[in-house]
Amino acid sequence: MHPNHPYRALALAGGLLLLTAGDLSAAKIGDLSDTRFWDQLIRFFSLRDPSLRYTLTASLFLGTCCGLLGSFIVVRKLSLMGDTLSHAVLPGVALGFLWTMTKNPWAIFVGATLAGLLGTVVVHWIHTTTHIKEDSAMGLVLSGFYALGICLFTMIQQLPTANKAGLDKFLFGQAAALSAEDLWMIGIVTILSLLAIVLFYKEFLVTSFDFGFAQALGLSARFFHYLIMLLLALSVVIALQAVGVVLVSALLITPAATAFLLTDRMHRMLIYASLFGMGAGVAGAFFSYLGNSLPTGPFIIVAASTLFALALLFSNRYGIIPRWIRNLSRDRRIQIENTLKAVYHVREKNAFSIDGIPVKALQNRRKLSPSEVEKEIRQLVRRGFASMDEPDPEALPDRERKLFLTPSGWETACRIVRNHRLWELYLTESVRYQPDHVHDDAEEIEHLLGEDIVRQLERRLNYPTRDPHGKLIPSLQDLSKTPLAGPSR
Amino acid sequence: MKMIPPFDIVSFFRAPWTEAWESSLWIVIMGFLVNAACGLVGSFLVLRRMALVGDAISHSVLPGIAVAFLLSTSRSSGLMMVGAVGAGLFAVWLIEFIHRNTRVKPDAALGVTFTTLFSIGVILIALYADQVDLDLECVLYGEIGFVYFAESFALLGMEVPIPVLRMAVTLFGLLVLLLLFYKEAVVTSFDPVLATSLGIPARWVHYGLMLSLSVVIVFSFESVGAILVIAMLILPSVTGSLLSDRLAHILIMSAVFSALYALAGLHLATWLNCSPAGAMVVAGFLLFCLAWILSPRRGLLTQLRKGRRGLRIEHGCTGSTGFE
Amino acid sequence: MSPQTPPPLEIHDLTVAYHKKPVLYGIDLVVPSGRLVGIVGPNGAGKSTLIKAILGLAPPSSGWVKIFGKPYRNNAKRVGYVPQRESVDWDFPVNVRDVVLMGRYGRLGWLKRPGKADREVARACLEKVQMLPYANRQISNLSGGQQQRVFLARALAQESDLYLLDEPFAGVDVATESAIVNILSQLRAQGKTLMVVHHDLTTARKYFDMLLLLNMRMVDYGPTDEVFTYEKLQATYGGRLTILSQVADSLSQEKENLPVGP
Repeated sequence: MHPNHPYRALALAGGLLLLTAGDLSAAKIGDLSDTRFWDQLIRFFSLRDPSLRYTLTASLFLGTCCGLLGSFIVVRKLSLMGDTLSHAVLPGVALGFLWTMTKNPWAIFVGATLAGLLGTVVVHWIHTTTHIKEDSAMGLVLSGFYALGICLFTMIQQLPTANKAGLDKFLFGQAAALSAEDLWMIGIVTILSLLAIVLFYKEFLVTSFDFGFAQALGLSARFFHYLIMLLLALSVVIALQAVGVVLVSALLITPAATAFLLTDRMHRMLIYASLFGMGAGVAGAFFSYLGNSLPTGPFIIVAASTLFALALLFSNRYGIIPRWIRNLSRDRRIQIENTLKAVYHVREKNAFSIDGIPVKALQNRRKLSPSEVEKEIRQLVRRGFASMDEPDPEALPDRERKLFLTPSGWETACRIVRNHRLWELYLTESVRYQPDHVHDDAEEIEHLLGEDIVRQLERRLNYPTRDPHGKLIPSLQDLSKTPLAGPSR
Repeated sequence: MKMIPPFDIVSFFRAPWTEAWESSLWIVIMGFLVNAACGLVGSFLVLRRMALVGDAISHSVLPGIAVAFLLSTSRSSGLMMVGAVGAGLFAVWLIEFIHRNTRVKPDAALGVTFTTLFSIGVILIALYADQVDLDLECVLYGEIGFVYFAESFALLGMEVPIPVLRMAVTLFGLLVLLLLFYKEAVVTSFDPVLATSLGIPARWVHYGLMLSLSVVIVFSFESVGAILVIAMLILPSVTGSLLSDRLAHILIMSAVFSALYALAGLHLATWLNCSPAGAMVVAGFLLFCLAWILSPRRGLLTQLRKGRRGLRIEHGCTGSTGFE
Repeated sequence: MSPQTPPPLEIHDLTVAYHKKPVLYGIDLVVPSGRLVGIVGPNGAGKSTLIKAILGLAPPSSGWVKIFGKPYRNNAKRVGYVPQRESVDWDFPVNVRDVVLMGRYGRLGWLKRPGKADREVARACLEKVQMLPYANRQISNLSGGQQQRVFLARALAQESDLYLLDEPFAGVDVATESAIVNILSQLRAQGKTLMVVHHDLTTARKYFDMLLLLNMRMVDYGPTDEVFTYEKLQATYGGRLTILSQVADSLSQEKENLPVGP
């Protein structure tokens, strides 16, 4: 199975919806909202509510926008710049409000964007004019601007003006409270970002990957850097009302980090990240809709994080569980190969004169307990590498139980021994190891050498037939010289 | 605009100390203690380029506090403390786990981790608002203004609010730790390789620091919330480092700054009628800007006079998180 | 070598993997007492890794290292280490004297602070590297050569018997280079043993008694006159061992558990 299928991403997103539904005790949410859980559910999916339609549209736009831009900051290791930016906009929101004394979205939009940009610029200034490291500079700006915003907010709360309701939505987000104007803004910024990324995809790509190289190419890398920062500031501002100041950065980082676990190609990462962003947005809107007064932001983020956790655990390429399984199966393969090698050694000791290997001899060679060796043999037989001659102990009490390799088993055994001995020879001849030092190394390498490296080794060592200890290096011709008889019954 | 009251220098300095002077006094003391304790731990974070780990922990303690509330419904219980510190350390562990075991970079791992934990905390508080005696305003900017009204404890004939007492004990403990392990803390921050080769276990010093950080953040949480605490971790020592090159001096300076922030913040807050914790950070940020511009050694003015714009690195905004 | 005095450094069949990718294969060597040994090899040959492995900072995947006959942990105090200059943050708020005093920390143990005797040692070490006038200077205000001398003084303050120096001559001025060479030979005259990672072949012959030619594996090791030959240097620098590095790559892939192929 290959990870790079859009279906997979979609399936993950679908799975998440179900998972989160189970997670948060639905009954509890139902209690709080004074309506029946199922009624709300039906209302949600029938899209009867106009405000819900707003919310969903906004979630889809925001998911796209933040997923796209977030991918760039994640690959550039600028994730925490998103965090800084999102806190730095707060005083701008307050000042935008004070400017018009209403919750005019455009004034707030302009104020917040300016404050966010000022924040990034101040980080840059601190970083370039002092010895202060970037993490501290970001922390300073993040919390300093935020504090200013908090002071302004608490002052606004004292004002007699009535129209301040809704400002606190900026802190934790309330997607249900979005207005038509908000939606317009979200749409415009998303389309702008989308356009910029489609038009300048290759410029963004090269600037993100290698800033110096981009400059050397004659691109104005600085321009593209600031373009991304501007778009980032805009997207933070539009996402504020949906998820709130503290959590905007997660909307940027989490879907992109999830996508980063699933693919190695930037354009796929962009697509996945926006899909995950949309999925999380819809899921968050859903859950906050179930409970009337619940903030949207945390639900969106938890949904996005659930996706991240799923990718972290199950991503085919980088997930923890598939890797663990690969580890196990590799260990098992090495075990089997070692047993096959032991069979080879036993036969070699007898100058290849016997075909059937007594179980006892194999056990001694492998230094295993009787039960372990039986397990190994069962594995060999199951994989078609060997068959057993099992005489009836009552009828023929003297005859030993013997193991016979099948042709494929014998070939594998020869391959492993050949790898081992070639590597030993390579280490002694080309790397000048002492002959008594090469064995342990070869024990590990023998299981890993690919066919092409083996060919190279042979060529380089001039098709050797003897290893440093004078033993025969089995070649494919030897296979045909010592044909195997099946178990004689 | 009617929002900013007229500035009158006499009333600016006198206002906090009239009828509500006792409350003001405790706010200043608490502000000083929080700032000083945070500044002490924070200077080592800054030196290790782990400033944003403070950010991560301060957000991550929220679910720990919420869960502890659900289990015990009491604010001063040891359970809350354990829950919150545990959540903070869990966040540190999770960040390390994610970036060790996958290709997610430390900065992204940090961002994902703390926002997730914070969201869970907010959801818990919103869902169980009736049981969790912690409103979201407190999370955002703390309630240092109410410290005087907290439960108090009679000590030497004085009614000391319990949060203040707790913070004082924390600060004292930190000072003791610092005196005992100063050289280990310094050498592991400066050159962990040398430290290891000298037989000083850099890992344990790291865990010790993370533990103290979590404890300090948890005790500061109620007073200043999850975000302002970051400023208190970073501001004092960074401002100090603009003025001095010796770590010991920086540490002493950050204690002085802490007192200044607390006082200036209180006066600002009284004048503008805004959040005292927010005002303390604003005061600190202004002080930082002053030091940035005027510092005799490293200030912008000095740099201008010397004609060298200290442009160190043309570009590159890689957020280091200390987990590299 | 008599059994009573074990050699300062003995390495047996040492293989080191970094990030699961082998960078050093089967190193075997014994450094006798009182020698100045140069470690020479191209970039990526594993020179610094060898030093780190000796210090127990890069755990070996096989083989062992003994310092004066014991594992490093038991004899750490007899080893002084000079890391590459870039390995630390030179904006750190400490002055020159503080850095040199850090060399004493290993001897102090927990809970003790450097005393008068330690300060005296630090002073003497600074004097040796001609940095005493700069004792109170902040370390960010030092030139590259001065930074290197501070590091050397710190290692001297460790008062060790075996010194490991990682590229001490990288990016330093001529005066510093000759000053360092001077100190190295003084130390050798006192019977100390020194291993120095070095990248300048033109001076390698002049500076060192013995050379270790390194390129992922030990190409050769012995007295400078015997080792410093055209053929052996060619073998060290002439091209990487393609198969060895290929296998190292596939090994690290396998261990990282990436599925091979697209």
